[in-house]
Amino acid sequence: MTAVSTAETQHGLGSRLAALAKIVELGQGRLDPALVTEAAQLLLRAGDRLKLSSDHTVVALAGGTGSGKSSLFNAVSGLELSPIGVRRPTTARTHACVWGIDGAGPLLDWLQIQWRHRFARASALDKGESQLHGLILLDLPDHDSIRALTDHEAHRLIQVADLIVWVLDPQKYADASVHRRYVTELNGHDAVTVFVLNQSDRLTPEEQAECVADLEELLRREGVTRPRVVATSATTGKGVDSLKAVLAESVAARRAAYQRLEADLDRLVLRLVKDVPELLRVESTVDGARRAGLVEALCDAIGVSALGEALENVYAVRSAEWVGWPYARWAARLRPDPLKSLRLGAVKDDIRGLVASSVTAQPAEVDNAVQTLADGLTAGMPEVWRDGVREAARSRVDELPEALSGELSEVAPPLDRVPVWWWLLKIWQYLLVLMFVASLAWAGAILAYGVFKAGRPPAEVLGDVAVLPWVGLMMISVLGLGLFSAMSSRNFVVLAAGKERDRLEHDMRRRVGVLAQDMVVQPLERELNRYNEFFGAMAAARR
Amino acid sequence: MRSAARNTPDHGTGAGSGDAVTEEPDIAGPDLADRDAGEHPESPGEQTVAFRPIRDDEDMIEDAPVRPGEECEGEPADADGEQDPADAAAAEAAQDAQSLEDDPEGAEDAEHTDDADGMEDIERAEDGEDEPDGDRVRSFPMPEPVSAALTEALNQLRTAVKGLHFGLDVPGSEEARKAQASVLAQLDDYVIPRVHMSTAPALIVVAGSTGAGKSTIVNSLAGGKVSATGVRRPTTATPVIVCHPDDHEWYARGDLLGGLRRLDEPTRDAPPGSVVLTSSPSLPRGLALLDTPDIDSVVEEHHEIAHRMLDAADLWVFVTTASRYADAPSWGLLRRAKERGARLVIVLSRVPHRSREVVVKHFGRMLKEYGLGEVECFVINETSVRDGRLPEIEIADLRIWMSALSADDERREAAVKSTLNGVLNSFRTRLPALARHLETQVALRADLRSDVDAAYMGALTRIDEATRDGSLLRGEVLARWQDFAGTGDLMRTLQLRRGAKGHQQGPERVRGLKAALRAGLEALVNSAVQQAAEEVVARWRQRAGAGDRLAATPGLGRPAEEIARRTTRTITAWQDHVTELIRTEGVTKRSVAKLISFDVESLSLIFMIGLLGYGATDAPAGAGAGALPQRLLRGLLGAESLRNISAKARSDLRARVGLLFDEETLRYVDALDSAGIPDEAAATRLYQATYNLEVAR
Repeated sequence: MTAVSTAETQHGLGSRLAALAKIVELGQGRLDPALVTEAAQLLLRAGDRLKLSSDHTVVALAGGTGSGKSSLFNAVSGLELSPIGVRRPTTARTHACVWGIDGAGPLLDWLQIQWRHRFARASALDKGESQLHGLILLDLPDHDSIRALTDHEAHRLIQVADLIVWVLDPQKYADASVHRRYVTELNGHDAVTVFVLNQSDRLTPEEQAECVADLEELLRREGVTRPRVVATSATTGKGVDSLKAVLAESVAARRAAYQRLEADLDRLVLRLVKDVPELLRVESTVDGARRAGLVEALCDAIGVSALGEALENVYAVRSAEWVGWPYARWAARLRPDPLKSLRLGAVKDDIRGLVASSVTAQPAEVDNAVQTLADGLTAGMPEVWRDGVREAARSRVDELPEALSGELSEVAPPLDRVPVWWWLLKIWQYLLVLMFVASLAWAGAILAYGVFKAGRPPAEVLGDVAVLPWVGLMMISVLGLGLFSAMSSRNFVVLAAGKERDRLEHDMRRRVGVLAQDMVVQPLERELNRYNEFFGAMAAARR
Repeated sequence: MRSAARNTPDHGTGAGSGDAVTEEPDIAGPDLADRDAGEHPESPGEQTVAFRPIRDDEDMIEDAPVRPGEECEGEPADADGEQDPADAAAAEAAQDAQSLEDDPEGAEDAEHTDDADGMEDIERAEDGEDEPDGDRVRSFPMPEPVSAALTEALNQLRTAVKGLHFGLDVPGSEEARKAQASVLAQLDDYVIPRVHMSTAPALIVVAGSTGAGKSTIVNSLAGGKVSATGVRRPTTATPVIVCHPDDHEWYARGDLLGGLRRLDEPTRDAPPGSVVLTSSPSLPRGLALLDTPDIDSVVEEHHEIAHRMLDAADLWVFVTTASRYADAPSWGLLRRAKERGARLVIVLSRVPHRSREVVVKHFGRMLKEYGLGEVECFVINETSVRDGRLPEIEIADLRIWMSALSADDERREAAVKSTLNGVLNSFRTRLPALARHLETQVALRADLRSDVDAAYMGALTRIDEATRDGSLLRGEVLARWQDFAGTGDLMRTLQLRRGAKGHQQGPERVRGLKAALRAGLEALVNSAVQQAAEEVVARWRQRAGAGDRLAATPGLGRPAEEIARRTTRTITAWQDHVTELIRTEGVTKRSVAKLISFDVESLSLIFMIGLLGYGATDAPAGAGAGALPQRLLRGLLGAESLRNISAKARSDLRARVGLLFDEETLRYVDALDSAGIPDEAAATRLYQATYNLEVAR
């Protein structure tokens, strides 16, 4: 049964640790760096400890100087292993006593216990101590003397031991150095913490009861829900057996290592949760409406619709030069040009050059469009993650205007483009003009030869007066035809420009959409996925 | 000033009524009550002088005849630094004149009080000379003449320290606040009263770890249960002063530790900021013991109380035990004693007989290594404690030491002086440290402020650049401009004078271009503002401590909500302004005006496009050079006029955007201010006060 529950614990712990690893990986730069470091350390420690002997339980005797850790160590081990003394601080190096040495070597190496301070109970069965088999008892140096200010051995081992026995004494049991630095900090470690009130022989039974009650009360105030307090006396041996029994129980269960790691994990996760207060799952894809919004905003940055309008208008105006009625054009030229008097130079060429310049995107507007998208998506996310998403969305925003300009200048026809049918119409108009001129000449000839009898007409028709009305009719119809075809082709131009505009806008939108997907939406979605993964890992680590 | 006044002997009462002299030993308490009960109204200023000194009767009688002479001498002394009481006295005199009719006796009383009030300095000097004989331990030796300069310097120092305000939460500010509180408490509790009273009963503080047996030692010396003992840790929560019954009144008066409330007996739930005052005849006169809470238990408030008590004491008795003497907190206390230059005695208690020699030797060596080898050390063996007391034999040495100190005035005075000097010396390092921290805060604030300015200056520069390098003439603006120019509207805005009145053949195109230009500018400004906001936060994040925390203030990482609206307003206003400029200043060249009229609206639009879109307004003059709008405008308005308008329009845009940014900046300044504004002059004042103190000593 023990084996099963151990396996279960181990399995649960394993998946939670994996989640923590994920959190560390994804939370880099998003979480309090100290917390991330701590989590990474815990992962490392857990990995090490779980690889090492699970048959052994590391129990550390910790406490202030002069509380009798070494005496108690000797009393439990039944041997004078650790030197005891009256000078403070006495113990400078950690001593270890192992019950059942098989497989404990690597663990002791990991704990960095020096060889000469390792002791083994040769036979675990002597003195009927089989129930302590698997116990590694550590006698730590103190953590509160002036020496401990520079030597962190005790602190280090308190962080890694499976089970901690706090050795307190009537004089020191309420010291801030134990309570503030460790008991409060190791909150939630009830299962792997035992408190020993040593030197109880110095107290009368009543005093001892008062003392124990006071200590328990104090511990409860500090958040230790079920304090385990054992009163002992290393000198008289009183209470040592109860301590041994407590230790034996933990050692037999073989779970202290997991419990310790679990408690550490719980605590860390609690702090992580505090650091990342409101973790909400967000959609990991950018929905259609937002995508359309982005494309629309980017199109505005390029001025797609304005471009369309310009296309339509400019074509309409320019077409007049090509497909318009030539006579009207000639008449307009006769009007005085105000610009001439200003001597501005080739304004027309300038305008033509301006009109020929290609499509570009406004960088500031592109920036704002991406910003708006990111802000909309990240509403409700914690600030650091918002920044991350924003960063991701903008990761390629610098290239975006260029890319857009490049992509679209391929599509957008320059406004000074001249379609072939404009040429044809122009030729047709000039043909008509030629015909008009020809008819005019004919009419002139008839008048000269036929009416005024200037001479012999070279040909019959040139002198025939009867033809004159027909020639006049022809002249009028040629002019009319020119006017009519100018008007109708103008309509065609407008129609074609409208069509062109529709096609252009559609094409542009499509291309903008593709670019937006590649350069904005994809990096953004990657970041959202990261966030969701982190969210999932947090949930998994929480148990 | 206050404590000085409070100390003033009330000669007036004594001299005024003959029978008061005989009652001399019982002091102000009942007397004061009587006066209060009387109809004579008391101003707060007067109340502080209501105490009467305890002194031998003949002393008083001797004093009395001398008074009139003193009075005359006293007045000039008044002038230096004693303005306030003098004013109060004047006000009072007026009041007294009124009350004379109702209560002649009370008035007389009060008048005398006034006199005494005004001349305390002189009198104190006199009293000091009156105290040569050492056997009169009961009397409170009046202080040596305290120079007005020293009083002034201390008061100035107190004001300076009190005025410090560490607003920003940078690393170390918590410590600085604590240090400030401790300096202030020490000034009030100890230095100021002590400077005035010199050797008056010395206070011996008993301090040490929890469970070291401080209370047990105090009880044993007092010969009775004055402080609670027990197995519960921590035991003592409220400090206890034990003194000889004769000194009781003096302590009750509360010059030393003036801020603490006196309690008669320890109670379980004594409010913080109180002290128990009891007396025991077993203690020698002129010395009092102060039992303090621990310095290292889980109840952290105790540490603060203990440290405050230590700061107010003349001598320190540091108690530790055989199992504790290597504890870090204990050595922290010893270091503090060394730093403050306090007179120190060490008691090593609970030493088991067996190991006495080893432990004492080891401890002695540790002390020597720490530079405290000279310190007197008493050893108390581990014995059974009965009734909260040690057997007399264990504390015999300690008692002898105390008696010697009590009897030997010179030695006591030397000890007291040395501690006082030590404290004043410690100010040399403690006060500059405070000032330095304040300077750090001021510097940090300036840095944070400059971060904001730098970010927004950068934004302004970006806008400037974008309006010069032609990047504004892109996207929709370009399309609309092409539309406007390509369809001939550009040309149509220019009309021959003799033609018909300017006809608007495409106002919607003008409007479209104007709107596009505005939108472009707005986008530019908004994007710059956004970047600036992010940059401020990024810069603040890089500053440790306060900047980091401030950067986390919600909403600072992005522009204000209404920024878009404000930008629109700003840009629209600028456009209107430019139109107005063109209308009023853009006087058309006369030669041109004869021929051509133009539409101001369109022309200003062309001008804006030329200014912001093409940028190069400073293109060399001359026909044909520069971009189309410039050439056009130059042709119409003349190069000079165009340059003027361009410069004006550009600087106006800058100013308007600058104004918008200022409003944005305000949010950061508010955040900074709400975190607390350190007073820049406070550090200088503190240095000055420290220097003055050194000069006055």
